[in-house]
Amino acid sequence: MLLNLNRMGPGRYVLYGIGVLTALFLLLPVAFIAALSFGSSQWLQFPPPGWTLKWYAAIFNDPRWVESIWTSVKVAFTVMVLSIALGLPAAFALVRGKFPGRTLLHAFFISPMIVPVIILAIALYVFVLKFGLNGTFIAFVAAHLIVALPFSVICIVNSLEGFDESTEKAAIVCGATKAEAIFRVTLPAIRLGIFSAALFSFLASWDEVVLGIFMASPTLQTLPVRMWTTLRQDLTPVIASVSTLLIALTIVIMIITAFLRRRYAR
Amino acid sequence: MFEAISNNPYRNLRAPRVGLRRLRPALPALIFLFVFMVVPLSSLLLLSVTKPETGLGNYISLLGDATYARVLLNTFIIAALVTLVTLVIAYPVAWLLAILPSRVSQIFFAIILLSMWTNLLARTYGWMVLLQRTGVINRALMGVGLIDQPLPLINNLAGVTIGMTYIMLPYVILPLHATISGIDPAIMQAAAITGAKPRQIFWHVMLPLSLPGIGAGCMMVFVMALGYYVTPALLGGTSNMMLAEMIAQQVQSLLNWGLGSAAAFILLAVTLVFYAIYVRAIGLGRVR
Amino acid sequence: MSAQAPLVNIRNLVKHFGSVAAVDDVSLQVGEGEFLTFLGSSGSGKTTTLFIVAGFEDPTAGDVEIDGRSVLSVKPNERNIGMVFQRYTLFPHMTVAQNVGFPLMVRRRSKAEIDKAVKEMLDLVQLGAYAGRKPSELSGGQQQRVALARALVYKPRILLMDEPLAALDKRLREDIQQEIRRIHRELGVTILYVTHDQEEALRMSDRIAVFSHGKIAQIGSGADLYERPADAFVAGFIGNSNFLQGSVVQSQQDQVAVRLDDGTVIRGNTRHPLAANARVRLMIRPERLALAPSNDQVDQSLDVTLSDTTYLGDMLQHEVVTAWQQRITVRTNDRAAASSAGNALKLHFASTDVMVFEDGNRATA
Repeated sequence: MLLNLNRMGPGRYVLYGIGVLTALFLLLPVAFIAALSFGSSQWLQFPPPGWTLKWYAAIFNDPRWVESIWTSVKVAFTVMVLSIALGLPAAFALVRGKFPGRTLLHAFFISPMIVPVIILAIALYVFVLKFGLNGTFIAFVAAHLIVALPFSVICIVNSLEGFDESTEKAAIVCGATKAEAIFRVTLPAIRLGIFSAALFSFLASWDEVVLGIFMASPTLQTLPVRMWTTLRQDLTPVIASVSTLLIALTIVIMIITAFLRRRYAR
Repeated sequence: MFEAISNNPYRNLRAPRVGLRRLRPALPALIFLFVFMVVPLSSLLLLSVTKPETGLGNYISLLGDATYARVLLNTFIIAALVTLVTLVIAYPVAWLLAILPSRVSQIFFAIILLSMWTNLLARTYGWMVLLQRTGVINRALMGVGLIDQPLPLINNLAGVTIGMTYIMLPYVILPLHATISGIDPAIMQAAAITGAKPRQIFWHVMLPLSLPGIGAGCMMVFVMALGYYVTPALLGGTSNMMLAEMIAQQVQSLLNWGLGSAAAFILLAVTLVFYAIYVRAIGLGRVR
Repeated sequence: MSAQAPLVNIRNLVKHFGSVAAVDDVSLQVGEGEFLTFLGSSGSGKTTTLFIVAGFEDPTAGDVEIDGRSVLSVKPNERNIGMVFQRYTLFPHMTVAQNVGFPLMVRRRSKAEIDKAVKEMLDLVQLGAYAGRKPSELSGGQQQRVALARALVYKPRILLMDEPLAALDKRLREDIQQEIRRIHRELGVTILYVTHDQEEALRMSDRIAVFSHGKIAQIGSGADLYERPADAFVAGFIGNSNFLQGSVVQSQQDQVAVRLDDGTVIRGNTRHPLAANARVRLMIRPERLALAPSNDQVDQSLDVTLSDTTYLGDMLQHEVVTAWQQRITVRTNDRAAASSAGNALKLHFASTDVMVFEDGNRATA
């Protein structure tokens, strides 16, 4: 029938066609950039007249690119740690707590996902200017943490909801203290959720463009901000090589995630 | 009440008063969001009614001035267009994914994740290069003789629509796939055995049953598209500027803080209205 | 129960949730080595009482003593009580052996000692071959047996079980019931067991406490509850029963004569003296009834009409209807009594099998 491929009749070829075209559409820019980054043409000719690694060399020979990468790593890592530190206890309160307005609090914690980033960006821009924090590490971390926190809360709440609280009670009745039960039983049991929370928090910060644009100063820029300012001037192939590195990173993360999920799948 | 409590002693171990104590772990996150989100947003709201002078002047000029009103209209048109195009592509893809053998669909999901997780600027850059006047797409079309002159594909509505559709596709495919996979095939078999033709089954059974996924996906894309900044700024043109870009321009370049904040609050209000409709229809629990 | 002091002494326990009394003045003693079951429907207070003993709930009033000392101020992890929960509460990230060893690990025992005890316990529950498996690789029955091993590995004197078999299917349930009985005999551990399944309670327990609306309706051996129920509620809750309405004609100590609505007078037993003309309910077990052709002369009888007969294999179950259209169930293995629907019959029974209760406003289950 309509949900059975073999019995669907000729209509399935239409679906196949749309499927293949969509897959190509989704792959097109990703594959194209990767190919372009090795092309020798300054003017992004395609197919390239020759092949080269000079655009990659250009990244690492330019201290502005290296510094922005380093800044992004530091910010994203700090955001990841703080996002778990704030999100984990918050998720416990949301799942275990029985206080009035619990759903409202839940909605509040995920609201940064709903408020358009541009609004958060200009609000924070005004805010950090007032306190002279613009272009500081703290400003980047605070801004990115706002958008990372919902991911952390959602991931941990989901896995904590799937964890039966009586298992923790069983540990306590077995003689474990409350803290032992949480650290030896509950947290290990929801570790996949915590791992996802950390990963998404890191990525949320690592990829954040808009907040970065408004938090940055000429002296402190994250990688996306550096890409943005460069892109607004010209379409240099250096961006292609930076993008390709980012795509490679995405693939590595996808493989690690798939591997971990398979290994820890319950 | 009594039944509920004693049936489930595990969940109701503490009386409500003690429950408030369990709010304490949420306090750090709560305080953080209050200081860095609520306070800045509130002061922004204050700016919108005090700069340059106290009153609703900014809002009046935003809604009254033809230039600004056009931006608002543009924003809605583009968001609606992107939502529609995304849905038309995503529905057959989600359908296909629901019936493909899982080994094949796994590959497709990997492609979706790759595109979704690749840095936004990297993807947008790819489209900038592909769509430019001398870009691969124009050259290919001219090469096969379909066109004589390069098509204007960038810095206009076409560029924004292509770029945004590309970004939004996964957000519709994934929930739609979940909904369609959740439909019990027996329901369709029941429809067939009672005499319905495939086309009738699609319109009267399958489509209505996938409405929750369609609604969730479309609402999400529409709301996201309303406030999108990066892609329209890079792929769009000045004649179809969107609200987010105008806000950034007012605040950053023109230092017109009052007007920028007022525009931000119009955007926020519109977003929240649509979000409220979305939550009403789908329930907060499913918003993830 | 033995003459020595009880191991567990629950005194006047009360627990309110908001304005609702989930446990309402419950008192009971549990002897060393006893298997005591809390039987009741959901919301009767049995689980709440068990959770107070475990220390996961604080009572509103009353006391729980173990070995003569109040344990209310003792944290659950320091009470040294074993517990098996209704749901599978194995730690999902640990192997079976790590799960069973957990209580000893948190007690900082040596590795050698833990390994030895774990092996012993897994052998006890017949899962020695599964030590290296993860809980997700076990069936529900196996998981509960691991949970049992984990609850017993630290040799607690008291084991609490909160409907541990509720999630299992019937066959498996009966297997594990026997296993729990065997372990109870071998280890001599005191067990407090919660269930809503009266058959399970009868099969396993030394004594049963029947809970209703936060109170203990009756406590006693299975035979006590079945043969001498304290009230109509217990009579209806344990086993199958037929109830008839009537009013007292005459009552002398435990003997009572009751007039049914159609005028028939029936003699029965009561635990409490009853006033003349009091409204009462009579209870007769289906298997204590016999059927005879209507012209037979018998000691004590009721005229009925047969409406339906069901073949149950080891027994026949007859549905009969009285003159005032009340349905009565009769179970017998007397195949001679078989008759076709619509026939007039006499239902006869001994006066010692008729229980008479005051017609309180308590519902019969």
